[in-house]
Amino acid sequence: MTILARRFSCVAIACLMSAVASAHHSFAAEFLGDQTLTIEGTVSEVWFKNPHVRYYIEVETDDGGTESWDVRTSSPTILVRRGWNRDTIVEGDRVIVEGYRGRDGRKLLSLISIKLPDGTILHQSY
Amino acid sequence: MKRILSIPALVCPILVANANPALEGDWMIELKPTGAPITGLLEIEREGDEWKGFVEGGPVPVTVEDDQVDILIDTRDLRGFIFFMHLKGELTGGELTGTFTVESEAKVNATDGTWSASRYAPTPRDSDARPVDLTGIWTPAPGQDFRKYTMDLTPAAEAWYAGYLMHYDQPNVRCVSPGITAMVAWGAYPFEILASDERLTFIYEFDSEVRRIFLDGREPPEFYPHSGMGFSTGRWEGSELVIDTNLLSQNIRDFRGEPISERARLEEVYTLSDDGQTMTAVITLHDPDNYNRPPIRRRAWTRNPDTEIYPNECDPDSFFRQMYNEDLLDMYFERSRRRF
Repeated sequence: MTILARRFSCVAIACLMSAVASAHHSFAAEFLGDQTLTIEGTVSEVWFKNPHVRYYIEVETDDGGTESWDVRTSSPTILVRRGWNRDTIVEGDRVIVEGYRGRDGRKLLSLISIKLPDGTILHQSY
Repeated sequence: MKRILSIPALVCPILVANANPALEGDWMIELKPTGAPITGLLEIEREGDEWKGFVEGGPVPVTVEDDQVDILIDTRDLRGFIFFMHLKGELTGGELTGTFTVESEAKVNATDGTWSASRYAPTPRDSDARPVDLTGIWTPAPGQDFRKYTMDLTPAAEAWYAGYLMHYDQPNVRCVSPGITAMVAWGAYPFEILASDERLTFIYEFDSEVRRIFLDGREPPEFYPHSGMGFSTGRWEGSELVIDTNLLSQNIRDFRGEPISERARLEEVYTLSDDGQTMTAVITLHDPDNYNRPPIRRRAWTRNPDTEIYPNECDPDSFFRQMYNEDLLDMYFERSRRRF
């Protein structure tokens, strides 16, 4: 799929797509349900596999360095039924992610929404 | 929604002097929040002046005064956040009725509502087999289940559970089967039922698990191993499918992590609605090694001809990588011997 085609499919499905978080792990064991955070960065790796889809995102820090964030979503089958596949977000994409914070200060987010370079916003409902 | 600051002790018997003895006994309770109703078994027992309550096999604090009753049920939402449903009601004309409020420290998707309870009497077993067509793909439906959080554990189970480390000790975070007891009550994933003369085959999307339910009364082969799916036999009692599963491997019951022993037996009773579009199940875990009374779960599914069972392979790499990044691998492997 070309980049252009991929972007078009993202736009086409964006209004309908709201993935529901799967419930086979305890989200509460890893995340804070009342604290959210928004980060902006570049996707450095896509892990589109069970037990959960993850996007690793490099975020620039104030001192000029970068730090890697682990952004967790649902399982692949939950996502693909809604048109969110392994090509929807790829390495190199500049994204803005809102998510629930991981416990213990980890650089870990459970995705609530993600804004793609073309302005498409994808959501995951809880 | 109210917020509470502490979790009360759930196993303390409540002392009351002026309680109506008619409150004692087994009740079928129904909660009506916004959305799908929740049903379950409420047991109220009395030993002298001590009263105890249990919902779906797990302890709940019960306060009774004359005809008034106050019940605090601990549960969890789909994400694992614990909250309480606080029921207040009264006995009128042989029925319990009242209202309930949701009390939680976390933000949960649950609403206040009304409740009622009628006397529970087990339905006599129907020896006349009248099989119904359960074949097809079934998608989980909301409601039904209390998701009672704490259970009435034996001292041995309490001792084991005291050392349980949530997340790191949960089998399926590392792509190991959570077992049929948890699977049948979890998740948003469909499953498919195939039928032949001597067996039913359940194909779960979750973890791509498969189980065979033998209807011909066969025994397991000698030395058949314990496993997450166990060895299942089924029979029709009227139009209800009753499945008994033995030879389960040690595992956990739910997010909280209470243990299941190899001597456990899981009983599932499946019922098809009159229109054939909804299937419900009552799932009871009999495991006296770990539970003083059997935990009960309830599920519902709707028939879904518009989907397929998707492949659902699991790779534990990301689980171990996270621990590697956080320097937790030594901790993890030092616990290997106690992990199922």
